[in-house]
Amino acid sequence: MAQAEARPLRRPTPPPSIELPSSDARRWRLIAVLVALLAAHVVGWRITNINLPALFFGLPNMQHIVASLLRPDAFELAKDVVVAEGLVTVVAPGTPSTGSRRVEEPGGPVLVITPRDVAPGQPLYVQGTGWPAGKEAEAFLVRSAGARPNSAGKFKVEPDGTINYAFVVPEWAPNTYGITVSVTTPAFGITPTQTLTLCLRLMVETLFLALMGTSLALIFTLPLSFLGARNLMGGSRLGRAVYYATRVAFNLLRSIEVVIVVTIMAVVVGIGSFAGVLAIVVHSIGALGKLYSEAIESIDPGPIEAIAATGARPLQVVRYAVIPQVVPLFLSFTLYRLDINVRMSTIVGLVGGGGIGFILTQYINLLQWNQAGTAIWLIAIVVTAIDYLSAWLREKLV
Amino acid sequence: MLEVHHLTKVFPNGTRALNDLSVTIPDGQFVVVIGLSGSGKSTFLRCINRLVEPTSGTVLLDGEDVTAAGSDRLRQIRSQIGMIFQQFNLIRRESVLTNVLTGALGTTGQAGSLVGRWPKDEVERAMANLERVGIADKARQRADTLSGGQQQRVAIARTLMQRPRLLLADEPVASLDPATSHSVMRYVEQINKEDGITVICNLHFLSLARRYAQRVLALRGGELVGDLDPHAIDEARFREIYGEDAVEVEVR
Repeated sequence: MAQAEARPLRRPTPPPSIELPSSDARRWRLIAVLVALLAAHVVGWRITNINLPALFFGLPNMQHIVASLLRPDAFELAKDVVVAEGLVTVVAPGTPSTGSRRVEEPGGPVLVITPRDVAPGQPLYVQGTGWPAGKEAEAFLVRSAGARPNSAGKFKVEPDGTINYAFVVPEWAPNTYGITVSVTTPAFGITPTQTLTLCLRLMVETLFLALMGTSLALIFTLPLSFLGARNLMGGSRLGRAVYYATRVAFNLLRSIEVVIVVTIMAVVVGIGSFAGVLAIVVHSIGALGKLYSEAIESIDPGPIEAIAATGARPLQVVRYAVIPQVVPLFLSFTLYRLDINVRMSTIVGLVGGGGIGFILTQYINLLQWNQAGTAIWLIAIVVTAIDYLSAWLREKLV
Repeated sequence: MLEVHHLTKVFPNGTRALNDLSVTIPDGQFVVVIGLSGSGKSTFLRCINRLVEPTSGTVLLDGEDVTAAGSDRLRQIRSQIGMIFQQFNLIRRESVLTNVLTGALGTTGQAGSLVGRWPKDEVERAMANLERVGIADKARQRADTLSGGQQQRVAIARTLMQRPRLLLADEPVASLDPATSHSVMRYVEQINKEDGITVICNLHFLSLARRYAQRVLALRGGELVGDLDPHAIDEARFREIYGEDAVEVEVR
């Protein structure tokens, strides 16, 4: 009668009688389940080739990789570089050498290359004035713009700032090549390395990849999620058909791994960020659609009744009774998805989706573990930061 | 005048919530419906504006068959029937004013209302209705910052926007404390007396029924078991409606 006291006019309902199995039967059932689980794990151990000795004896192989990863190629001591670049034309053997070429930058050193046309095997002189006195200089030959320079030797700048160095032209095909002379001196401070700069740029690309993937997915998901909500679509036979179709589509899109979608998209639009964006869009439509639809299904039906009772049209009911209830949930889910998509964007790069994952695979394939370490650290830092940021924002919203 | 003929509702799970219920309610009457939980009170109210679709029977509002109305006509009829609920059913995250304005959705243009633009005279009317229920100063607050009693008054102002002929009140004070309950019931009574709006109100508490009703309908198992003068309900009558258990509890 305690219940009835609290709510005077309600007749207390007797608790439904549920037949519980006897304690013996329950105990045997528990034992059977535990034995089945144990058997599954024994079989699993064999099928997945779990080999603890291999792990134990193989661990030392990891040592230098881990050591390299822990020393990422991120910062270096700052240096001042004085550099001048000129051109030289390599000509066929036997062609007479001619004149010289003078390069002078305003405020920079003077570089004179003699001769301007030279045959392989002949000496080439690099001379000039205005170089940092007494420092070590290095000359480079550059096959083409962007290519790695080939060192042509190191030499010392004279105390009066002049240089005078000669080297033998290698057996390169006749063409015009670059000549670079540079003097590098240590300076105070540290600067980011080229690797870090590149990784940062690609990390930004990755973040935008996640943003575009999420936002483009939203365009499709927002309207579709209403079609996938049972409480809005359950009214008629057609509505239920649309509901099931939408839900099945969401589940299909969601169940295909992003890595697989990227591979397909890379075939369609080529390797690069766009393929990554498309893959994330496809996956996010499925994942967000399911979350959104369930958010709509979880809303309080009271306001829907109340707004419908005023004689409002269905769209007005959605606008006033559904949307205000789901907006905070939608925002929260979207932020969560953005967070996941940042992580996924780093993965899509591994299979040709652009961004930082792309360069990371290159580093790993070239066994450049210090550089790989840079990318991995950057991913870890950014993903963690986004994770915290998204959690903090979501807490504010709900 | 509201005429209900042989109203029956059987839910898909087989529950017979209403069974051949017939009643006629003249204009301007304050009718209280009492009965146990599950006696069909809520279903009865919802069948009148067809938030619940009746299985059979007819509902005539001023001679027009509500149960036969098409969807457009049904919306027009609904816009003339106000409804308030036990849980108030306001849009929690919107302002009090917007909540009141939603009462005009049945009669305003669709395009403007979808982007939240309301005609100036409707806004003025909404403020006047808030004034009537004594909370005009809360117009710009979010609805969920108000107390339960205030929220129910917002819901009353929302129904006033409909200029209703009939007000359905589904246990409007079941979530409120006794003092607040009377305050809310007095506003319902005021609407009934001043505007001549017919009120059909489900209530749990007999004391409230005696105080506000002109007529009491008693439901039991989906059937009308009493059509009573509120002051004529003595203990014997009460036991008939609720059964022995409830009487014992009432005595305590």
